[in-house]
Amino acid sequence: MHALSLPTLAVKGARFKKVAHVFDLLRPILGAIVLAFIAYRLYQVLIVQQEYGADTWTRLLISGLIIGGVYALIAIGYTLVYGILFMINFAHGEVMMLGAYAGLFAFQAFNAIQVGGQAQTSFLNAYPVLAILLAFVIGMFISAAIGYFLEKIAYRPLRKAPRLVPLISAIGASIFLQNAAQLLFSPQLREVTNPDILRRGAGWTISINNANVIIPYTGVFTFVLSVLLLIALYIIVRKTRLGRSMRAVALDKKTAALMGVDVDRTISQTFIISGALAGAAGVMWGLHNGMVYFYVGFIPGIKAFTAAVLGGIGNLPGAMLGGLVLGIVESVGPAALGIDFQLKDVLAFVILIIVLTFRPSGLLGEVLAEEKV
Amino acid sequence: MKSLKFVVVLVLVSILVTACQPSAAPSQAAVVSGAPDVCTSDAFGCAVFKPGEVVKLGMGAPMTGGNGSYGVDISQGASIAVTDAGDVKGWKFALDAQDDGGTAEGGASVANKFVTDPAIVAIAGHIFTDATRAAMPIYEKAGIPMLSPSNTVADLTTLGSAVFNRIAFSDTNQGNAAGDYLFNTLKVKDLAILHDGSSYGKGLADTVAAQFAKDGGTVVATQAITPGETDFTAVLSAVASKNPGAVYFGGYAAEGSILVNQMKQTGLENAVFFGDDGTYGVDFLTHVGANGEGAFATIAPASPDSAAKTAFNAAYLAQFGKEAGSLSPYTWAGYDSAAILANAVKAVAVVGSDGNLYVPRAALMAAVRATKDYVGLSGTFTCQSNGECNAGLPQFVVVQNGAWVAVQ
Repeated sequence: MHALSLPTLAVKGARFKKVAHVFDLLRPILGAIVLAFIAYRLYQVLIVQQEYGADTWTRLLISGLIIGGVYALIAIGYTLVYGILFMINFAHGEVMMLGAYAGLFAFQAFNAIQVGGQAQTSFLNAYPVLAILLAFVIGMFISAAIGYFLEKIAYRPLRKAPRLVPLISAIGASIFLQNAAQLLFSPQLREVTNPDILRRGAGWTISINNANVIIPYTGVFTFVLSVLLLIALYIIVRKTRLGRSMRAVALDKKTAALMGVDVDRTISQTFIISGALAGAAGVMWGLHNGMVYFYVGFIPGIKAFTAAVLGGIGNLPGAMLGGLVLGIVESVGPAALGIDFQLKDVLAFVILIIVLTFRPSGLLGEVLAEEKV
Repeated sequence: MKSLKFVVVLVLVSILVTACQPSAAPSQAAVVSGAPDVCTSDAFGCAVFKPGEVVKLGMGAPMTGGNGSYGVDISQGASIAVTDAGDVKGWKFALDAQDDGGTAEGGASVANKFVTDPAIVAIAGHIFTDATRAAMPIYEKAGIPMLSPSNTVADLTTLGSAVFNRIAFSDTNQGNAAGDYLFNTLKVKDLAILHDGSSYGKGLADTVAAQFAKDGGTVVATQAITPGETDFTAVLSAVASKNPGAVYFGGYAAEGSILVNQMKQTGLENAVFFGDDGTYGVDFLTHVGANGEGAFATIAPASPDSAAKTAFNAAYLAQFGKEAGSLSPYTWAGYDSAAILANAVKAVAVVGSDGNLYVPRAALMAAVRATKDYVGLSGTFTCQSNGECNAGLPQFVVVQNGAWVAVQ
């Protein structure tokens, strides 16, 4: 967290010490008031009014888990890059958007290929598992490539510059990628062609309170795949040589270089991994929500960044937890507090502020080494 | 030294800016010798056109994004009107359609661009409400009349604007008719209201809710969604818990089509989706597919086929390769809007003694508002003193077998 505070502020900070002291006292009190209010609303809505039945809660929870899984996958990208370079890669949402486009075009192409002599089905429906796998490989490859070149072009030349400079470069890259996609792929909403076994809207039906709750196939697929990818990433970071060099670079670049770690290469590999995960998230987004356009990465990108901060930026399990918490808060929260659903973003950020009030380094965040500050 | 240089540059720039300003402002044109008397008495002066210059009609519309088909369609309709309008005393008309994205920021920036162009005399637009609302005060200062083909939001004509007029029906009519139709014809007892939080969507949704409640129905849920998002399953699940017979949505096709798709997976598969004039169009149909069967929308009533309309439809098909009206319900209104403005320009324009064409701006504003019994492609229009030129009721349409079909 301290990474964002500027050195100049630290020097001038002494003058404001007294003011800061008052706020230090007020902060937990304010936090407690907000928490008490939330508890009161929860009691009102859940116990007194009982506005929604179990079927509705299940539906809300399903929506929350699905979107949370996608947030987690994108949040990992922010956290990985932050952990190693201490910069926020604001173009990460756009990397996801390009992955979503890659998935869209892959599915379209597979649907256009005809196989089978008599039946004349498309490749997409004849070999759905292979088609989905290929679409994910294509989406992840494209996004990984974008992430790789993004770092080479927009961030590497600025490695030695003050911290705010690559941040501005990231925002510029984000706008560039958005506009490039708008020019290349037209600004219209495009629809993803799903294979029949993963039809949007179809799913397992369970009966709760005499109401049918649909668990959509695409949603389960999205969630399971997110979890699998997160586990795979965790293994990479913890058990492989690449993961070891990533952790070494994250701890201390200079020392890692002295120990024979190729820092530039490790950073490139980090961008490739975070890009591939964003690409997977993009293809899933297309499969589950069905709509792809040039702006599709922006909102998930911002939300995932929030999730990464919520969980403790720089911390991998934290990003996963933050993503899931944010997804569930967004979908269940407004109903539980009995407020308008348009306020879900407000609620998400209120939760972020409360968490940061009590745990300034995020849910699972740790105190950073002096070198990083 | 450096700061001195900066000050010098600043002074030079400010001199340049102030020196350029008067020549760009159209109101100063009246001092040109050879100008007819009407320009000196006109509150906003005259727009001056040298021989060979074109008289421009502006349009601000969403050309890109999920609702881009509206802007593309309406500007195409208006461009045919500009061609059909011929010339005014030898000067040709031209349409300058700019992309405002349908947003307030976009509307203001397009309006600011138009008021600095002395050749713009009138605006056929804007198309979306938020853009219009932001643009109105800017045109008001410059004395440029507007005639919107598609702004339906009720309060736009109650703001006392001297420049804003519209030939679209008012949302008061649209909302009341939709509320009545839901209760009386579709026999819906419990209605859920969704809107996109825009002044158009929310205003319309509020009108429908009020009318539906007045008729005796119950509004069981009112929720707002965030435009631009693609996952509305949470809010739909909460709405589904109230078991509404129908969901009314005030907003545009981009979000409307996603709502229709996700209603099927959130327990709202039996509820009727009832949209507005913003959810009608081909974009909606292509995105919802089979999920859209039975979805309602409102459109401007089709005026009886006239020779002019047949000619327009043929011209539209020939020029743009699509049936007129397949992209949005407003292409005919776009034509009418540009045609009325061109007529008004013809009525007030004068050729000065120096051979230039003069268009007195305040007189043009009055002429647009004085439109009376104009028979257009989308109806017959008589403007009232508040700028309301259409007293008509909307027409309801429903999706049947993948196409919009008119219902009674």
